[in-house]
Amino acid sequence: MWKKVGEREVGKISPYSFANRIRSNRISSLDLSNYKEIVSVHRGAINSLQVGDWAGPPVEVQMGGREGLEMSCMGEGCLVAGQVDLTEGRYLLSAASDGSAAVYDVQCAAKYEGGGLVAKHECLFVVDKQHEHGHKYSVSSAIWYPIDTGLFITGSYDHYVNVWDTNTTQVVVNFKMPGKVYQTAMSPIAKSHMLIAAGTEDVQVRLCDIASGAFTHTLSGHRDGVMTVEWSTSSEWVLATGGCDGAIRFWDIRRAGCFLVLDQSRSQLGKRPPFLERSSSKGSASKPFQAGQSSNVKVKIPLKKTTNGNSTKQTPNISRVPRQTKGWHRPHPGMMSSHDRATAHYGAVIGLKVTADGMYLLSAGSDSRLKLWDIESGCNTLVNYEATRLQTSKPIQLAITQDSSLVFLPCMTAIKAFNVWSGKTFRTFRGHYESVNCCWFSSQDQELYTGSNDRQILVWSPPKSVHREVDEKFGEGQMSTSDQDNWSD
Amino acid sequence: MEESEREGREKVSSLIDKATNSTDPEIETRLLKAIKLVVRSSDSELRLAVETLMEKMKKDHSQVRYLTLLIIDELFMRSKLFRSLLVVNFDQFLSLSIGFRRNLPLPAPLAVASRLRTKAIEYLEKWNTSFGIHYRQLRLGYGYLKDTLRFQFPNLQQHAARAQRDRNEREARSKEILLKKFETLRENFLSIKNEVQSTIDEIGECLEILKTEEDGFIPLDSVDDDDVEDFRPSALQKIRLESLNEGEKICEDSDNKVVFDALRELHKLLVNKHLVIVQEWMSVLVRVEATDTRFRDSSLKEFIDIRNRLRLVKTKCEQTGCSLTNPKDRDDDDMWEECKIDMVANGSCSAPNPPSENLVITSTLSKVKNITPVKIETSNGTTATEGFDGTTSVKSKLLAEAPIHNWGSYLDNWGNNRDFLANQRGLELENHWGRVDSDAVIPAERIAELNVQATLYKEEPVEVQPCLAPLKKGGLCQRKDLRVCPFHGPIIPRDPEGKAIDQGPTEEKTIDLEAGVTEQLAKRAVKNVREREREDLKQRENDKKNLKRAKLAKVREHNEKVLRQSAIASTSQSEVMGEDWASVGGNGSHGKEKKQTLASMLRKKVKPKDRITQKLLSARVRDATTRQLAMGADAKYREAYPNQW
Repeated sequence: MWKKVGEREVGKISPYSFANRIRSNRISSLDLSNYKEIVSVHRGAINSLQVGDWAGPPVEVQMGGREGLEMSCMGEGCLVAGQVDLTEGRYLLSAASDGSAAVYDVQCAAKYEGGGLVAKHECLFVVDKQHEHGHKYSVSSAIWYPIDTGLFITGSYDHYVNVWDTNTTQVVVNFKMPGKVYQTAMSPIAKSHMLIAAGTEDVQVRLCDIASGAFTHTLSGHRDGVMTVEWSTSSEWVLATGGCDGAIRFWDIRRAGCFLVLDQSRSQLGKRPPFLERSSSKGSASKPFQAGQSSNVKVKIPLKKTTNGNSTKQTPNISRVPRQTKGWHRPHPGMMSSHDRATAHYGAVIGLKVTADGMYLLSAGSDSRLKLWDIESGCNTLVNYEATRLQTSKPIQLAITQDSSLVFLPCMTAIKAFNVWSGKTFRTFRGHYESVNCCWFSSQDQELYTGSNDRQILVWSPPKSVHREVDEKFGEGQMSTSDQDNWSD
Repeated sequence: MEESEREGREKVSSLIDKATNSTDPEIETRLLKAIKLVVRSSDSELRLAVETLMEKMKKDHSQVRYLTLLIIDELFMRSKLFRSLLVVNFDQFLSLSIGFRRNLPLPAPLAVASRLRTKAIEYLEKWNTSFGIHYRQLRLGYGYLKDTLRFQFPNLQQHAARAQRDRNEREARSKEILLKKFETLRENFLSIKNEVQSTIDEIGECLEILKTEEDGFIPLDSVDDDDVEDFRPSALQKIRLESLNEGEKICEDSDNKVVFDALRELHKLLVNKHLVIVQEWMSVLVRVEATDTRFRDSSLKEFIDIRNRLRLVKTKCEQTGCSLTNPKDRDDDDMWEECKIDMVANGSCSAPNPPSENLVITSTLSKVKNITPVKIETSNGTTATEGFDGTTSVKSKLLAEAPIHNWGSYLDNWGNNRDFLANQRGLELENHWGRVDSDAVIPAERIAELNVQATLYKEEPVEVQPCLAPLKKGGLCQRKDLRVCPFHGPIIPRDPEGKAIDQGPTEEKTIDLEAGVTEQLAKRAVKNVREREREDLKQRENDKKNLKRAKLAKVREHNEKVLRQSAIASTSQSEVMGEDWASVGGNGSHGKEKKQTLASMLRKKVKPKDRITQKLLSARVRDATTRQLAMGADAKYREAYPNQW
């Protein structure tokens, strides 16, 4: 490591790759953390976890003005802009099936145990059934307002989506949904809207506007409840939803109807990114996409897809060729009914995750499959993720590393880390005693947080750095001696 | 190098194999030590051991898992590397050892499974307390079982802590009590001292009075002595002096009886109350942790003084008269013994004792041997000791021939020769039914007749000898029959191994001495024939068994050959397996000794209950019962309605 630091100083290694290398090193040594412990206050399964570390550099530029605007709309006191920097990646929001949501400080421990060996992170506050506006039933999803931690949004099985003020722990706005809320999502890069997408038992996906307190959109197309919703990370108007009918739909919220339904039988081998050269090609590819957020990008999509689709195997069940040429020229409402019926998974889609660059989508289904989709072409990339078993009844929350190299997937009692591009199992994290529901990867600290039915939130972190350990050797003293070999004979 | 390593590897796993392949509830210490030694030698061994142990934990047999758990505990408490390796798959380990997953319950022998579970829970707690801080997985597992599944942990540590706390509390309380006592002592010290002093003074006065009385005689006595005897040998002189001393001891008589009584009272008070109290206070003073040490020391000193003085006075009293020395407890003993003498010596003569005493006497009659008939009531030791020798001899003679009676109300009137009034009960209820002759008596003979004790014949206990014939499964037949064991024939004396000691003829001779020789001969003949028959039968059976065995062996051999050939054809590794099989087969052939194996633990034992149920619930019996019941119902019906057809 010191050698690398030296190289970095001399200039042999660019700072970016240096940082990346250290990061990936740390990620590869992730393990159940013994020195960091989150004291869960929940008395039910943990359904959702999120650390408020959304704000990447481009968003941060926008933040000052944005925040002031939103806050004045809400009638809340403004936060000082500097506070946002402080709170970044610091507060963990968790939701549990006992109707509670809690916030933990993952940076500063509340207390230490065992002579400073174990840091216990206790919750800062909890909102549960005792709260006057608390959820009555299981909270299925809790997310931070993407700009700062002044607000958070919870969706629950009691049909409500609540927007909470973090400082006063009061409900600011609430939305009554037609059924149980499975998942809520807000766009991390939105600059012109602040919509909460809510997937519910109902077939329609609703977009709730915090500013006005009303539904702005009702997106219909799914034939069953919507398990997961996920905003694109490259376009603020694109929303992906996965339903119990096994379909994954893409919506452009500026126009009616969905513009893309992922079809598991449409696959492409050629477009699968090469294993190692990915990072460079991705960077170039994502930029134009991000820059040109207009409809003509989407017009291009069908053209590409037809070329790709022809190169791959033809599926017997859907006679696609005539429809494709006809259907995709029509931008509105978009699709023939037969294509509209395509499915991405057998069974329900229970988890969606878009890569950080917004080009690929990972989806988990109740058929225990994990699939990687090329969003641009809408094709299955046929990456074969090793066999796993997923729980089928609840939506699960996937996590992906910043550079899209690893995906963390809750597989029953364990969490598996797959290599996104090869599908190989990288690691299996065992520690929970019941099914894991959610995981969250904090790319800032390279830590993984997982929540499970056994009511625990576990922290998986790289081992402490050398120099910190040396520091603590003095403090530990007699503690370290107790964990030594002790052969009597 | 590699070779030796591999050898070592096999060694660990084979050691573990051997250790876990047993039905004992413990690991053999020798094996355990060997495992520890091997594992300690290198890290790779340890890794292999972890693997092997986890494999063993997955076995579908609770006994194997239990023994594995014991080994795991041993290594877990010792090796850090072992801990860190085991902890990785800790949830699996817990589910295999505790069986908390509903879809993965613990395997077969139920008793062992429950033992396994309790042990695993105990170990988990132990590990958690000693290493939990270093291993998050341990804490997690413990927390999950405790908080989510609500398992009951033995809470050893807490128990110990609680016991400690209790002890501390008790100590504190006793200290407090002591302190309180100390405070009261500080208040009452003077009064106690005064009380003791007054008693001592009184005793002193009593003694003084006695002395003065004595003084009246002594000079006269001594003068008299001096006059008569002028000179004597020194020995005689000594005896005389002693007797003089003895004489000096004041004898109680009618004159000084009051003084003696008072003295006795005071002595009793002194011994039973003051001395005890003083001792008590002294112990309190020694134990108490008072702040005022000066007072404590001074009072302690004083108490010691008082005690010494009391002892002095006591000895003085005792020197004065032997009557004072009798402590209370001996008093009671003497009372009883005296009564017994009365009873036994006087036989049937009148001794109207209270029934409670009777009870004691009759029950302790046979036990008491040394009798010191000292009469306390008169408290003159001399009178009783006179007849000591004579009574004992007479008494022992009488004791020998005295009948033993059960206690009963008739003993109230033992040896009473009086007539009894028949209608004298104190209540005049009988008057309602006419005139009552209140003078009617029951003659003594009649009473005696009524009181005649029935004696029951008591059979002398006969010790029935066990059969002691050797059993097939080892050991001797413990059946106790009077003459004939239903399984092993007549009961005959046998040597420790169960072989019959050939005593038959001599025994029979003694028995059948009067019976004719012919009879004996016939018996012998029959016996011989029987024996031969039995032998023949045995021989035939053995032959049959051998035949069967040979056939089985042939079949097995054939099977093995085929298997081995196929194995050789497929891989080289499975040849070893083939051999293994052969050894297993070999084991099977002489496995008739019924050594308890792991498989036998899984087999269900056939108990008498099972046999009975099998018999009772068999179809034939059930049919018969129903038929009988139906017939019974039919008969009843016909009886009830005889005119109907």
